[in-house]
Amino acid sequence: MLKNLTLICSLLAGTAAVAQDVVPIPPMEVDAARAELGKRLFYDTRLSGDASLSCSSCHQPDKAFTDGEALSQAYTGAGHFRNAPTLANVGYRDAWLHDGRLGTNLNDVSREMITETYLMNMDMRIMQERLKQDPVYVEMFAAAGMSEPGNGGARNALMDFMKTIVSRGAPVDAGELSSAAQRGKGIFEGKANCASCHSGPRYTDDKPHNTGVPGNPDIWASVERHSAFVTYAKFMGVENYMNLREDLGAYIRTRRADTKRSFLTPTLRELVWTAPYMHNGTFDTLAEVVDFYDAGGGDDPLKDTHLQPLGLVPSEKSDLIAYLEAMSGESFDTDAYVWRADDYDYALIEDWKNARN
Amino acid sequence: MKHSIVIALGLAALVALPATAQNRPEGLAALGPPPIPADNAMTPEKIALGEMLFFDPILSGNNAMACASCHLPDAGWTVQDKISFGYPGTTHWRNSQTIVNSAYYGKLFWDGSSGSLEKQARSAARGGVSGNGEDDMMEARLAFVPEYRTAFRNVFGGDWPKVRQAYMAIAAYERSIVQTDTPFDNYMNGDDAALNDAQKRGLDLFAGKANCTACHTGPLLSDERYHNLGVPAFDGWEDDPIAQITFRFELLAKGSTEQMYRTTKDDPGLYFVTKQKSDKGKFRTPSLRYTKYTYPYMHNGMLETLRDVVEFYNVGGGENEFAANKSPLIEPLGLSDGEIDDLVAFLESLSGDEILPEAPDLPEMQPLPVASNN
Repeated sequence: MLKNLTLICSLLAGTAAVAQDVVPIPPMEVDAARAELGKRLFYDTRLSGDASLSCSSCHQPDKAFTDGEALSQAYTGAGHFRNAPTLANVGYRDAWLHDGRLGTNLNDVSREMITETYLMNMDMRIMQERLKQDPVYVEMFAAAGMSEPGNGGARNALMDFMKTIVSRGAPVDAGELSSAAQRGKGIFEGKANCASCHSGPRYTDDKPHNTGVPGNPDIWASVERHSAFVTYAKFMGVENYMNLREDLGAYIRTRRADTKRSFLTPTLRELVWTAPYMHNGTFDTLAEVVDFYDAGGGDDPLKDTHLQPLGLVPSEKSDLIAYLEAMSGESFDTDAYVWRADDYDYALIEDWKNARN
Repeated sequence: MKHSIVIALGLAALVALPATAQNRPEGLAALGPPPIPADNAMTPEKIALGEMLFFDPILSGNNAMACASCHLPDAGWTVQDKISFGYPGTTHWRNSQTIVNSAYYGKLFWDGSSGSLEKQARSAARGGVSGNGEDDMMEARLAFVPEYRTAFRNVFGGDWPKVRQAYMAIAAYERSIVQTDTPFDNYMNGDDAALNDAQKRGLDLFAGKANCTACHTGPLLSDERYHNLGVPAFDGWEDDPIAQITFRFELLAKGSTEQMYRTTKDDPGLYFVTKQKSDKGKFRTPSLRYTKYTYPYMHNGMLETLRDVVEFYNVGGGENEFAANKSPLIEPLGLSDGEIDDLVAFLESLSGDEILPEAPDLPEMQPLPVASNN
């Protein structure tokens, strides 16, 4: 069954940009005990340096694992310069982060988020020892087949938990489109040509594009955000990083000038939960996003040539929005995705002198 | 005749060869100016910049932990607790050392793991249980402070502050926090009245019967060598889960074999620098200057008062996990209560007045002026 679905998915991906008979996104294979461990880790603030932030601080289950902010929160004393992306179907991605700079796996993504100085600023050697001080983790790591809590195991567990975050129950999957959404589908695949990039079951080609999204001036107005951006740009080896006042997107990994200000096509799954939109949260509503594309995108000399004024009339826009909304499924704010117990405690190791570390 | 000899000897014992201007103990001396490294010259502007940076939490991961957070001027430029404060969410694992006269040490930290004050500042700013900062982030933040841009340009040149320069300025400031006019210094410089009688008797014990000068020698009163005195392990590891976390982290981070990581229960000290088993449990002899204000004592603060320290030595030190490496210099001293009093009185003469500067006004980050993208 799973195999068949995967086959269908890849067939669909091969014929992207034409009519999409999208099927539900199949669950991913994970180790259940490891995923359960990952779920507890995901909500644990002790994975950040000062124990103030968990993964869920910026990836909140009731917002399809986004945070509702234009620009995300960041570590104490810092601010982020990008919008927190949804984690819905995150395991199906080929590359992660808006600039696509991580192209390996979610274990590496976890490491990046946990250790990055403006994100969770965690020395993972301390993290490992924190986990070992919590008897619940000691049991859960054992249940997941690991002899004791450790860094690599924690990241694998987070990876497996994230792989469980798969969209369910969207009208597009059930074939239960309203007539407006049905008309919107036609526009999406036809006149508006959204499907040229928003293709496949996740509605993304996983490629970077420059759509001319306007910059977010709040980045440069906030010393916390701007200094985090400088840190990022310097680390990525971008020249003249002190004088930059724009997010260069995928350029930081390609170093090809024609990729400046290009960002990975985001999934359109779960949009009703994930406002505001775009890599820098510059649009508050789907209506603004549709207007933006209707106008042919923004103003950028490197803008993707696919983007042309669409000439949509108001009813077409509302139909399109109805279809976009039909791509959203059930809330993730359920026990399957949320560690509800407030059981994050350290225990004293008794008989310290004789206990093995 | 016989009688009078005994009486004479008794009198001699009572006055016990008091140190005099002509007879100061060998191996001890007044403290002169600190050595200044040729590659980090002292200027008033650099010291002023270093002073601001010392008090500014900008050099930390959460923009909230300054050097001064764990080296508080009104606490002897230390933390007056066994173990230093840790970064939020952690605790430290060693006693905070005073900044006063740190300029004279060849190596910094209890295990001598830093070769200079510049390197020590960097290690403290970055360490997971201290500043938890990252150099690129701290450097970026400095660039957003207009006053720092100006000061760094004036002191070091260049368009933007460099975090390496921040550590240089802090080290320069620390080299200005010295004390060379204690009663002891004045006495060694010839002022016979600078020490009272008890202190003079204490000095004789220090250099004589108690043999403190075997290690606490020279103008700094430190041989800058490493010894295991048998100081007991920090007791917080027995009852504080967060201290247990930090302890294992340090074993892991500083480099331990698997076997050592699993079984060690005390701070191996110098071992982490040399990786020699015979160096486990050894710590650098601290200066005894300014100790009036830097209680509690030892690398883990396990001794509360100077009297506790003297009594610890009087019974021949203690015993810890690394007993095989205990210094043979540590032996029971047989000091009487009165002698202990005198020795403590002398130790207090190694501290002058408290050094209590006004904390400087700190400049703040401001948005950068608009610049081109090219």
